[in-house]
Amino acid sequence: MGHEEPGNESWDMRAGQLKVLLVEDNAASRDMLSRRLRRAGYEVCTAADGAQALRQARALRPGIVLMDMSLPIKDGWTACRELRQAPDTAEARIIALTAHAMAEDLARAMAAGCDDYATKPVDFPELLRKIEHWAGAARQAPAREGAQ
Amino acid sequence: MSFRRRLGLSLLAILALFALNVGTHFWGSYAREQSMSAYRGTVDARNLTNSIANQLEEQRTQLLVLATLRETTDDVLSEEDRAQAETGIASIQGFIWELGRADHAVTRSRFSALQTSSRRLLAAWLAFFQNYNDPAWQSPFIAPDAPYHYQAVLRLLRSLEGRQSFVAEERAAIIDRTIALTDRIAVIGFFASIVLTCILGLFLIGYTNNALRRLKLGTLHIGSGNLDYRIKLEGGGELGDLANAFNEMSGKLQGAVEEVRRAKENADEANQAKSDFLANISHELRTPLTAIIGYSEMLHDVLGDDSEIKREQFRSDLGQIILSGKQLKSLIDDILDLSKIETGKMTLNPESFDPILSLRQVCETVRPLLEGNGNRIEFAAAPGLPDFYNDATKFRQVFLNLLSNAGKFTRNGVIRVSAAELAAPGRVEFAIADTGIGMSEAEMERVFEAFVQADQSTSKNFGGTGLGLSICRGYCEMMGGSIEVESEPGKGSVFRVALPARLSSPAPGTPAAEAAAEGPAGMEGKAEAARAAAPRTPAPPVAGSGDPKSGPAAA
Repeated sequence: MGHEEPGNESWDMRAGQLKVLLVEDNAASRDMLSRRLRRAGYEVCTAADGAQALRQARALRPGIVLMDMSLPIKDGWTACRELRQAPDTAEARIIALTAHAMAEDLARAMAAGCDDYATKPVDFPELLRKIEHWAGAARQAPAREGAQ
Repeated sequence: MSFRRRLGLSLLAILALFALNVGTHFWGSYAREQSMSAYRGTVDARNLTNSIANQLEEQRTQLLVLATLRETTDDVLSEEDRAQAETGIASIQGFIWELGRADHAVTRSRFSALQTSSRRLLAAWLAFFQNYNDPAWQSPFIAPDAPYHYQAVLRLLRSLEGRQSFVAEERAAIIDRTIALTDRIAVIGFFASIVLTCILGLFLIGYTNNALRRLKLGTLHIGSGNLDYRIKLEGGGELGDLANAFNEMSGKLQGAVEEVRRAKENADEANQAKSDFLANISHELRTPLTAIIGYSEMLHDVLGDDSEIKREQFRSDLGQIILSGKQLKSLIDDILDLSKIETGKMTLNPESFDPILSLRQVCETVRPLLEGNGNRIEFAAAPGLPDFYNDATKFRQVFLNLLSNAGKFTRNGVIRVSAAELAAPGRVEFAIADTGIGMSEAEMERVFEAFVQADQSTSKNFGGTGLGLSICRGYCEMMGGSIEVESEPGKGSVFRVALPARLSSPAPGTPAAEAAAEGPAGMEGKAEAARAAAPRTPAPPVAGSGDPKSGPAAA
């Protein structure tokens, strides 16, 4: 974690809902997952491709990005790398959603900068646990920095 | 030069030198013997000459004494004395004759002169002894010239002796020189053969060692897997042949290894393709499953909550589940069809049908889908096309697929369907041309391969299983036809399907026919052939569910 500029509190999950960006090109999956996440109490925004995902991430500063890897226009791996490189989106926690269940696909996703992954079809309770885990990590990080 | 020839020639050279040595030895021995005999001859001749001279002297002395006695006294010569004198003279004659035997061409004239003179002298002496008792007989020996005869004979004798000695010495000198020469030749030959033998031995050892070392090095190299290594041996011969045989073996090994490597590569590729195919199937199956499970779980949760149930939303969600289920089914159907085509288990059911009528029916089926994207269908069939005897179901499936594809990738354009007989009799070409997004060269090359995606986003944008065109190609090949595509990005694509009107049964005896004989419809052979050229790898730029029943209709 880099040094946060004072006042840059977009990550602060302590106040209000956790913002989740769902990047998924399949309309049915996008609709279904976003609705389920909203039902679980998250503020959800969606993107259908990699480029849109980057725009959304910059504009909305989500704490968690759920990223499908095979995306049109700009694939998930590229989008991940670019999210990580841009200073204002580098702190987002990225969970890869992939239907490619092979080990090398997962390794590739982690190498691109993903924090975690979930395999399709998604085990929803497991996904929620992962979101909570990473959201918790994101919440603790500024506190840790503050203590130093 | 071969090793054996080298060896043979070297041995011959040594043998020749040896023979030269033996020859010169015998020549030398002969010369020595000649020399000894000449020396002995000279000594004998001198002895003989001395002996003759002595006897002549003795005889002359006796003669002079007797002559004086005859002058002064009247004594008669006894018979006994006479016989003794005659014997003495005969003995001298014998000696002279003996001297003639040791004669040589170069002394012939001197000897002849000696013989003549001595014969006259001895004849005169004999006459003296025979006529001694005859007082009337005047001895010619007493004549003043008589001593001269004697002196002349003596001189001739000495001269002959000198000549003979000279000749013998000359000959002995020549023979001595010959002996010295043969000795020298023998020594030179001896040393030459020793040197030659040593050189030959060293050469043989060196050559053999060198060749064996190179052969050993070569086998080590080849044995350790360096099959590019070639043993270099100059001059050929048996070892050269052996080296060549090694090199040839190495070359053949290299070829074999290369072949095995290629076979392994092919197998690896095929294996990789299968893995990719499985990964893609897994991926494709998971996408609809995600929706099915996700929506089902959500609805399940909704029903478990006490929140309000929105009937329309609920129904729409169930619709998503049904749609995803159908997509899953069509995907599984496509995979099974493709698998059947690839394993040659797909069968053909030929029947008579009118291809134009069938094509029009297919167009009507997809018309809603095509027009939904703002497209227009144009239909142009050449008149007098033959009726088909082929698999009508597969025929319809191929065009349903191609038309759905055209509709999916074209917005507000024109889709032209045309049919015309080809130059080859009994073959009809059907073309489906669209004004859609088209394909690049690379995409065209792989468009018929299962799941292969030149651009993944295409299928993401347009949907489909990515197996439709693979199945189309499989079907076309099974039906004895072919399918190809022309396209340009942004301009549209043209799929051309050439099909035979009558399904020709495979010629008996061909592997295809044998394979076909086992199949229910007798068409496994075609499928087998199709499989050989069929897709090994996955993807779908131009998508389309292979199953016309559930594909576009379900949308």
